[in-house]
Amino acid sequence: MSEKDQADLAAMERTDEPDLDRGIVEAWAAKMISNPDRAYRATFYVATIFFLVTTLFPFYWLLMVALTPRNRLSSVGVLTPGGFNPGAFVEIFTRLPFHRYIFNSFLIAVVATVIVLLVASLAGYVFGRLRFRAKNVLLLSVLVTSFFPPAAFFVPLNRLFNRNIDILRPLMQDGSLYNTPYAIFIPLSALYLPLSIFILMTFYSQIPDGLEDAARVEGTTRLGALFRIIVPLSAPGVATAGVLTFITVYNEYFFSSLMTDGRPQSWAPMLEGILRFQGEFEVLFNLMAAASIVAVLPVAILVIVAQEKIVSGLTAGAVKE
Amino acid sequence: MASVTLQEITKQYEDVTAVDDMNLEIRDGEFITFVGPSGCGKSTTMETIAGLTLPTEGTISIGERDVTDLPPKDRGISMVFQNIALFPHMDVYENISFGLRLRKYDQEEIDRRVEEAADVVQLEGMMDRMPKEMSGGQRQRVAIARAIVREPEVFLMDEPLANLDAELRVHMRTQLQRLHRELDTTIIYVTHDQAQAMTMSDRIAVINGGVLQQVAPPLECYNEPANLFVAGFIGSPAMNFIEGEVIDDGFQSQYTQIDFDPETHGVTPGQDITVGIRPEDVFLEEDARKAASPTKAFDAVVDVIEPMGKEVNAYLLFNRDVEASAEGRGEGQLLINLAPDTDIAEGDDIRVVMDRENIHLFDRASGDAITHSLE
Repeated sequence: MSEKDQADLAAMERTDEPDLDRGIVEAWAAKMISNPDRAYRATFYVATIFFLVTTLFPFYWLLMVALTPRNRLSSVGVLTPGGFNPGAFVEIFTRLPFHRYIFNSFLIAVVATVIVLLVASLAGYVFGRLRFRAKNVLLLSVLVTSFFPPAAFFVPLNRLFNRNIDILRPLMQDGSLYNTPYAIFIPLSALYLPLSIFILMTFYSQIPDGLEDAARVEGTTRLGALFRIIVPLSAPGVATAGVLTFITVYNEYFFSSLMTDGRPQSWAPMLEGILRFQGEFEVLFNLMAAASIVAVLPVAILVIVAQEKIVSGLTAGAVKE
Repeated sequence: MASVTLQEITKQYEDVTAVDDMNLEIRDGEFITFVGPSGCGKSTTMETIAGLTLPTEGTISIGERDVTDLPPKDRGISMVFQNIALFPHMDVYENISFGLRLRKYDQEEIDRRVEEAADVVQLEGMMDRMPKEMSGGQRQRVAIARAIVREPEVFLMDEPLANLDAELRVHMRTQLQRLHRELDTTIIYVTHDQAQAMTMSDRIAVINGGVLQQVAPPLECYNEPANLFVAGFIGSPAMNFIEGEVIDDGFQSQYTQIDFDPETHGVTPGQDITVGIRPEDVFLEEDARKAASPTKAFDAVVDVIEPMGKEVNAYLLFNRDVEASAEGRGEGQLLINLAPDTDIAEGDDIRVVMDRENIHLFDRASGDAITHSLE
């Protein structure tokens, strides 16, 4: 053993580590090394605070802008509003029927979510629980559809929905789907279906066969077993698929703005309403900000409610037998 | 209450035949057990009766009705599953009343029936518990209550005791027998455990490889097995088999010889046969009077002794040159059952006799039984 090695060994055996005594940073590093739990906790807080700031600060700033009177918009500070004008939250409903825009978006999102959950439940049941030929080919084609950019479907759909279709005449005034909610939730439901099928398929496939068999022996059909046993036991999956679909459709702009002429009575969506506060000569940023905050509320409430559902003890150990 | 008739039932999966041309008549009020090794088709047979799988060919009748194409809910059956299969999101009351509520019985009737069913399986006061708060035995009783509450014509049980611990299993076994006596319903029971089959059933249906081997009362399966498979499967420890050939005046194997007249027992000299003898039908030479009709004695060496308390199992080798087989009982080995106070030790040279009255002969080519006694 060389002299150097011996010196190193001696250094390792010393406990006071004099090298790390030199400054604040070194002392801090030494503390962290000797107490890794502290380091993990510190990292956790740093990451959480970073995440909260990046997601919540835009909302905060939206609020600052909304509260600032229009003529003082240029003096909005980084953290303080340029005045106090809560009237903007009322003005958005008086200047435009913004509530109608929100209602349009909300209704379209609800209908699309219901359609998606129903169809995806049936498809998820078939893909997740039955064995049949060409299952993988079918599943793959569903997956491929979801890879297409929505814009690829736009031109043919727009042509289709603008055409007067005779069989629709009794239902629609002019036999065309343009400017109706159907033109929005039909393509959107189809576009967001694959994701929900995949989520529900995974959940449904994990319900033990015995439970379905038991339900069928007790008196349900296969469909009855699906909705009475499999769906309730897959509540977290159904909630996830539902919330994801709702949020995506509610926030959707591309299809919903192009399939209507932008007027509230033509079922134009919420985003179209926000943009209506942008006139030819001036942009009413404070009203746009106020409208954005109001528009977020339904989604925020939904997520909070659904989250409770997901976390609720109902599903804890539900599938275990 | 109803009889169940299977006619030429075949269930073919893509690569395997799970059930092969099964014909079976299950009598009204009978407790019948399907028994066989794992994967023998007994569960598939039960699923076709339940309607959970459709047979590829054949017809199933319950009572006078042809139910082959009816869904499970319209067959008048109920079922207890191996994994118990209680609905985890429903409490005990909801689980038991599930079928009644689906059939739109009125509330009073439901309450009365649930109470009765709970009474039979002793579940009083547990109506609002969730399945996950209960022990295995309690869940099993809920599953049975759920099955009996609808007063089905036929009761199907697919290994209902398999997931219970040994003590509870024995307890539930007697409970089920009592239940059968009280309900007087046709019960079809599936198990791979021949002890359960022996103790509970009116008749046993032994199944192997999707083919029905024998349908008979338990003791008949034990004493007069129809073929080599039934002989080896029913009874624990299993029957000894000695392979050999028929000679002019009896049977000759590598290590033993048994005298009998081939003609009276339906075999011809030169035929390949297997002799079957149960462990309790082999005796030490000095105890030969215990045998109704002892054979002449032959030599053996004690290899391993297993004291069981009420008896002693001794593994014998026919001579010192025989190698004990690692897999099961090989050629040249013999398991015998002795009284617990028998004074033998491992390595002893002993002489044993067989009871001719309980020697079974099987045709080796077909496996079928030829005779169940050499007297």
